[in-house]
Amino acid sequence: MTAAESSPMRVWRWLREHAVGIVGILVIVYLLVPIAVIFVFSFNDPAGRYNFTWVGFTLEHWKNVFGIPELNEALWTSIKLAVLATVISTVFGTMMAIALVRHQFFGRRAANFLIVIPMATPEIVMGASLLSFFLILGTPALGFTTLLIAHIMFCISFVVIVVRSRLIGFDRRLEEAAKDLGATPFQTFRLVTLPLIMPGIFAGAMLAFALSIDDFVISNFNSGTTVTFPLYIFGAFQRGVPVEVNCIAMILFGITVAAMVFTTWQQRRAERLAEVRPDQEGAAMPTPPGPPVQAAA
Amino acid sequence: MAALKRRGIPYALLLPGTAWLIVFFLIPLYFMGRLSLNVNLGTYYPFDWHWQNYSDALSLYDTQFVRSFIYSGLATLICLLLAYPLAYTIAFKAGRWRHALLLAVIAPFFVTYLIRTISWVTILSDESPVVDVLHAIGLAPDHRVLATAPAVISGLVYNYLPFMVLPIYASLERLDMRLVEAAKDLYSNAATAFFKVTLPLSAPGVVAGTLLTFIPATGDYVNAAFLGGTDNQMIGNVIQSLYLKQSDYPAAAALSFVLMAIILIIVLIYIRFAGSEALMGEEAAKA
Amino acid sequence: MKQIVRLALALAALVACIALSACGSGIEEPPATAAGGGGSGNRVKIEGKPSGELTISNWPLYIDKKTVPDFEKETGVSVKYVEDVNANEEFFAKMQPLLANGQSGGRSLFVVTDWMANKMNELGYLQEFEPAAIPNFQKNLVDNLRGASYDPGRDFAAPWQSGMTGIIVNKELAPDIHSICDLFEPQYKGKIDMLNELRDTVPLVMKCEGVDVEKATEADWLKAIEKIKGAAESGQIRRFTGNDYSADLTNGNVVAAIGWSGDAVQLQADNPNIEWRMPEEGCILWSDNMVIPVGAPNPTAAEAWINYVYDPVYQAQIEAYVNYVSPVEGTKEVLLKEEPEIAENKLIFPPASFTKKCSIQPSPTGEEERNINRAFNAVLNG
Repeated sequence: MTAAESSPMRVWRWLREHAVGIVGILVIVYLLVPIAVIFVFSFNDPAGRYNFTWVGFTLEHWKNVFGIPELNEALWTSIKLAVLATVISTVFGTMMAIALVRHQFFGRRAANFLIVIPMATPEIVMGASLLSFFLILGTPALGFTTLLIAHIMFCISFVVIVVRSRLIGFDRRLEEAAKDLGATPFQTFRLVTLPLIMPGIFAGAMLAFALSIDDFVISNFNSGTTVTFPLYIFGAFQRGVPVEVNCIAMILFGITVAAMVFTTWQQRRAERLAEVRPDQEGAAMPTPPGPPVQAAA
Repeated sequence: MAALKRRGIPYALLLPGTAWLIVFFLIPLYFMGRLSLNVNLGTYYPFDWHWQNYSDALSLYDTQFVRSFIYSGLATLICLLLAYPLAYTIAFKAGRWRHALLLAVIAPFFVTYLIRTISWVTILSDESPVVDVLHAIGLAPDHRVLATAPAVISGLVYNYLPFMVLPIYASLERLDMRLVEAAKDLYSNAATAFFKVTLPLSAPGVVAGTLLTFIPATGDYVNAAFLGGTDNQMIGNVIQSLYLKQSDYPAAAALSFVLMAIILIIVLIYIRFAGSEALMGEEAAKA
Repeated sequence: MKQIVRLALALAALVACIALSACGSGIEEPPATAAGGGGSGNRVKIEGKPSGELTISNWPLYIDKKTVPDFEKETGVSVKYVEDVNANEEFFAKMQPLLANGQSGGRSLFVVTDWMANKMNELGYLQEFEPAAIPNFQKNLVDNLRGASYDPGRDFAAPWQSGMTGIIVNKELAPDIHSICDLFEPQYKGKIDMLNELRDTVPLVMKCEGVDVEKATEADWLKAIEKIKGAAESGQIRRFTGNDYSADLTNGNVVAAIGWSGDAVQLQADNPNIEWRMPEEGCILWSDNMVIPVGAPNPTAAEAWINYVYDPVYQAQIEAYVNYVSPVEGTKEVLLKEEPEIAENKLIFPPASFTKKCSIQPSPTGEEERNINRAFNAVLNG
């Protein structure tokens, strides 16, 4: 940089050097602005039924967050649904992930493929096909049960992917060590493997929960007369979404952020405890001493 | 005997999940296909090999089909242009702030999809300051943004941007910077190094991101419902109306099937073009 | 836990269904309650005094806040009042699988517009009233609603409220809009909303074309739909809306909309520039009706509800909030004493001279209905 470079030139040069970063930051702002708007408008005091223009500040809706019975019922239905779907899909998904990573068997590639397809299908096609299924068979009646079936369906794939990536980075030597110390396969699984992949399972469960609570399209098609939280909002849009919805959205937001931070912290902690580092897998290991347990037999 | 039991373990583990996916994902596709060949008799819909549903659907709704692909194509392109710099920034220039920025990228997901879209109705309403600014710089001649195509497209961009950022970021993060340094050692400047080394190596992420954005965006109907006007409705809106309002199930199923088929064809061509490892990633290669 | 058990049972039933291919209640089979063209043949059986729980489905913002608690106190019935009827067709699509199997999803009473009540009755989804339990209804129903063409004896549909569909105008921004044809004037391009309800929007446009809507042919309907389609494609119409045209009007997004009389009174409270105008060609008259479905768990309480709201004193309370046209004789007199502005409001108690050019909401049927529906929905879906 010569001393003769003028100020505007310097600014321009700085901009050019940091162009990518600036665009990046602008995009982040773009992503966050609507959230800020939702937050701000949760303090709005709309004159009529519609919460689209700012009128005045009030804490009324925050104080009365759970004051709309229909909204509460929808929220409660969503939570019940999400909990059940999460539990079942996490169990199924974890089992599948273990099978896919740990075992070689005929049909493995097909199973892998089967996991990926739902994630690549538009939700409307999944929802519409399930609806067609239930309509033609005539059973079960559209409602909570069909919602549960649908939610478990689309959550399984995501759980598998998350747990699988956790399993792949897992140090098998810990299991081998347990076996060397005389543990049965089941004990090994219960006392060594499971606790160590638990952060992955938990992350998968959280993802399933978030997907389920937020699902709109598939639920819209398969809910019959049952109302979940997103379905309530869709219906309420026409006659005016109450401000309390903004408040509840921010509460869910806060809980999710807290859960994410907690999970990341847990994961880091677990990693530190186990000292698992994927890049060390396959590194040369000193030969262990001779089999010690046989002597006790 | 024990060997058999051991051989059986993976299948036993796989059984519940796979069975669920087969029964509630694959089989319903068959039923949807079957429903698309039923005839609409008002109160019931018997099976009839009624191929007419397809020709009716395509001729009545071809505008919406084309429109959907245009909207989602544009949205995917814009997402790519916005997401790449962001992913690059987070991967290479963020340092300590990396996790905070990633959290910021995923943050919109923590607010319900519908409420995110409704907040855009607030932000883009005719008298908001945002529209004033856009009008001042000439982008909104009628002083109105809502109920137009750009509103729907920008809604799609906003909602699917994280799907584009994360795969590209994952791909860039795995990049071995020494390759870029090597390029620089060989006298290339920053731009050439980027285009000849970084970009091609991040191709898997770009491919994954484009697919994860394009596929759901094409079938989306929420953005068009809230942000669109009379001639911005997408094929998803039509399918939803046919299923849930008009109870014209055969036509709806036919449209759904056609949508799925077209997307599948586009995806297959794209993967052919981009290379299949790009889609499945190294994990599939390991599998 | 209960849900998991239910899930397991449902899965078992599903497996049996697929395995035996013997389901018989899906949409590929003709409906069980096959209607012979009129009525389920069911009449409500009154069982003693009203008690227990009553679930009512109604349109949003169609009742004041005190009526439900007052009714609960007076009768001891516990009411679950749900506002989940957003549009006739959507509600029908949701309810049909249940009603076809003789169930109502827990509802003992819901409110649908005339043509939907007719359609449901023809399909055998409704029960007939037991007249002895609803004396107030028999006595107080206004004369002009006594003999509906689809329910001459008022056996299954009891009007909840009536209304008029016309134009709601922001008189400051669009002082000159006085007719449906005015809505197509190019100067208002992009500033007009129309209802997504087939039987409100298209008859009004037919009136603009000079058609007598009560005698309209399929060709008339389709021609009007073509005209609307042209306006939609040229950008004349900003959106087709449901209840949410109010938002566009209050925000200034549109200057005029096809809308319902009751909404306008409420909107005027927010913005005095907004007023409902009787189109020069006339308006469309309709009623929303209380009906009792088959499978209603508590029809006794449902009839008690109908009887209760047909008392002019309680009706006045509802009317003061809802602002539509009351079907109960004597309400005006009650309101004259307590809230004279409402009693004098032409939109709430329209004199015959006011509505002389209005037509009763027409509704196509059969094959005609399917063709017209398809054409209109093609326009709605862009």
